[in-house]
Amino acid sequence: MARKILCVAEKPAIARAVATHLSGGSFQTHAIRGNQYVKNYEFDFNFGGPWGDCSVTMTSVIGHLTGLDFERQYKGWMSCPPGSLFEAPVQESVDKDKLAIAENIRNQARYSKALFIWTDCDREGEHIGSEVRNQAKAGNARIEVKRAKFSNTERAHVLRAAREPVELDEFQANAVAARIELDLRIGAAFTRLQTLQLQAVVAALKEKVISYGKYRSGSSKIMTHASTGSCQFPTLGFVVDRYLRVKNFKPETFWSIKVMHQRERKKVNFLWKRVHLFDRAAVAMMLERCLMAKQAKVTKVNSKPKSKWRPLPLTTVDLQMMGSRFLRMDSQTIMKVAEALYTKGYISYPRTETDQFDKAIDLKKLVEKQYPDDSWGQYARDLIDGKFRTPRSGRHNDKAHPPIHPVCWVSQNQLNVNEKKVYEFVVRRFLACCSEDAKGQGTEIEIQYGEEFFHANGLIVLERNYLDVYVYDKWESSQQLPNFEKGEVFEPTEANIAEGKTTAPSFLTEPELIGLMDANGIGTDATMAEHIAKIKEREYVVVHQRGTGRTKVEELIPTRLGTALVEGYDNIVAGLSNSISLSKPFLRKEMELRMLEICAGTKTRQEVVQQSLDMYREVFIHTQRRIEMLKAACRKYLVE
Amino acid sequence: MSADQIAAQIQSTKALPVSPSWLTAVLASSGQTQRNIPTSALTKTALFRVLASDFRGSLLTNSSSRLPVDIYDPTVQERRLSGPIPVQILDIEDIGTSLWSQVEAIERVERGEAIRGREIVRTVAVGEDQEAQENSSANNNGNSAAPNASGSSGYGPHRLILQDAAGTKAVAIEMQRIEGISLEKLSIGAKLVLRNATVARGMILLNPASVDFLGGKIEALDKPWKEGRKARLLERITAMQNE
Repeated sequence: MARKILCVAEKPAIARAVATHLSGGSFQTHAIRGNQYVKNYEFDFNFGGPWGDCSVTMTSVIGHLTGLDFERQYKGWMSCPPGSLFEAPVQESVDKDKLAIAENIRNQARYSKALFIWTDCDREGEHIGSEVRNQAKAGNARIEVKRAKFSNTERAHVLRAAREPVELDEFQANAVAARIELDLRIGAAFTRLQTLQLQAVVAALKEKVISYGKYRSGSSKIMTHASTGSCQFPTLGFVVDRYLRVKNFKPETFWSIKVMHQRERKKVNFLWKRVHLFDRAAVAMMLERCLMAKQAKVTKVNSKPKSKWRPLPLTTVDLQMMGSRFLRMDSQTIMKVAEALYTKGYISYPRTETDQFDKAIDLKKLVEKQYPDDSWGQYARDLIDGKFRTPRSGRHNDKAHPPIHPVCWVSQNQLNVNEKKVYEFVVRRFLACCSEDAKGQGTEIEIQYGEEFFHANGLIVLERNYLDVYVYDKWESSQQLPNFEKGEVFEPTEANIAEGKTTAPSFLTEPELIGLMDANGIGTDATMAEHIAKIKEREYVVVHQRGTGRTKVEELIPTRLGTALVEGYDNIVAGLSNSISLSKPFLRKEMELRMLEICAGTKTRQEVVQQSLDMYREVFIHTQRRIEMLKAACRKYLVE
Repeated sequence: MSADQIAAQIQSTKALPVSPSWLTAVLASSGQTQRNIPTSALTKTALFRVLASDFRGSLLTNSSSRLPVDIYDPTVQERRLSGPIPVQILDIEDIGTSLWSQVEAIERVERGEAIRGREIVRTVAVGEDQEAQENSSANNNGNSAAPNASGSSGYGPHRLILQDAAGTKAVAIEMQRIEGISLEKLSIGAKLVLRNATVARGMILLNPASVDFLGGKIEALDKPWKEGRKARLLERITAMQNE
């Protein structure tokens, strides 16, 4: 066979899965020199189209091939003023531990007509694809470059992707390249500045804290701060902000009016429209005026159908939020498990922002695949036997991946404990999406008593529908309300003042933090879990457990260092107009919006890098000028 | 047109018994007594000055337009104020919101987070997508006003301190929403005319039928009130914790 096609996946497991499908299971495995994980799989395959029958070498990289760093003369901590790292020359080079992988690609490219890239279809994958392309071109300048578009490793899907190659998306690859450069420059500049400055403070501290300064060369916790970029700092900012809100909170007493009426042997509690007020005298006066009026009048009786909507198709952010809430796993673990399930071909690609299913996708077929399951197989059958509904569509579409859904059924005993939980969640969510909303009948009764209004609500759940499979949502019938007629007048059985106190918000939990990052536009779905893991690892925050068993909650609490850094940076910009603290999400948010502009092709990589560096340079200059503020904050929190 | 005529005009349209001697002095000092200025413009200027004045100097203090001096008496269950009574607002407070959450709101503004594009989302409901939330709150509209952890149920009702032309002060409660009365919009020294308002346990009950909101402000009171608001809230919170 004359033609040879070189296929390169992002991870060895994907390479093996794709090779298995394309070859029908018969391929030869060759080890490569210098790396024990990456293998070359050789087989024949008919791609159809212009390529036709070819011999194939399927191999992989292991994530990014290259890294970006400053040139040698800028690498030392004392080699240059930290501010010059905004402009210092940088160079891209193959990571030392990836040299053998790069060489393998160059070698294989030499004998190949075309390079067929099988990295994951997202921004990061596009950039890794461009790294692979650069190596292949170095081995064979005339090699043709194509890319496979796939979102799961199910056989038919892989075969179709193999026969419909597309082009590499340069825009997306450039966006990642811009982010990498910005993270390097901004991270290094701030890390060096604050480390060199804070070391003086830290060294003067007691023994316990000196351990931060123990690693003099560059592995101290303070030193490595921000070295992976400008996102974990606002992430930390949210944790500190909530912590301070909890700590500073002052409880206050409030009063409300509770009205109860007994009818048909049922006690109906009416809730005050004003909920509660913080002025006792005013509430007492209002209650007195109710009692003076003696009679209450029914002003509204509404009975109307209610429904609880089935969930939207599953996105990464939702998987992380719901997962850490219902499955009791942290977001990073969930993503790791989800990726393992994807690599094994059980679920679709778990990094997606899309919450709408494409019309072309055969959802019923996916539902049918769940028939064999003991727990939800019957439910799947009922869907196909007439209860199937087209899923709701959300507002997001990343144009790359469908919402996360099960690709095929897998027996529970083939999965480990965590995989079982995540797979079950993905399946139940998917079946819920394809179900009917839950239906009920709601009743609202409003009364006027004196000058005040009160209401009572009732709910009867009539059809549970999706709730039967989506065990994570709760919607329960309330007590049935007795009969009230509009315009009817009655004397309430009881009316009292009730006293209560405001309560502090609770410490931030991981699902909330993910929600906040998403709502404030920082971190992409793919990186959020990483940033959270990073601020834990850096010991800026610690995880506290509250409660036990089913009520167990994991809360994020900042450490002294974490609090000191946020307060220090906030103080640096306090009082300066239009200068934004690093602990706030805006700078990062703007940077991420610019990444999207690169992806859309409306801005170039260079423009974005320059603009973003200008924003951060301004903050850097303030920081340098007012570094005493940062030192003072560290002294305040780190000197006990 | 004489000051008397203008005063009569303001009395008939706004129920404000302006003191003619005060009005004469004001018009003289602003040099607006020339004959060539149209009456309507002159009246407008005069009214503006009245609303920016301290009623204790600018209004006549005839007995029918004054608050009873024992109005604060909490032993009186209910009484009615007769006639129109002009008053100025000396203080406003949101009694539907906890003091602490008001302090937090002030601090958000201080940090520049009230500027468009600089807002920070600080709380998210985990576990319900946006549309589902809209859906369920529309369905259970009673529950949407449920108290949240920070103790704010929205805006108001407000408690005001009112003062009449004779200097008598009284507490008033906004029983129904009154346009113009809000922490953001209202200036201290803004003017109201009470019409046959009810007083219960020493508190004047305000509703749209019993109040004409005229607006205005007293600059000398408004500025320090605004600047000192956070400190006063904090002081009250501290006092409360020590109780």
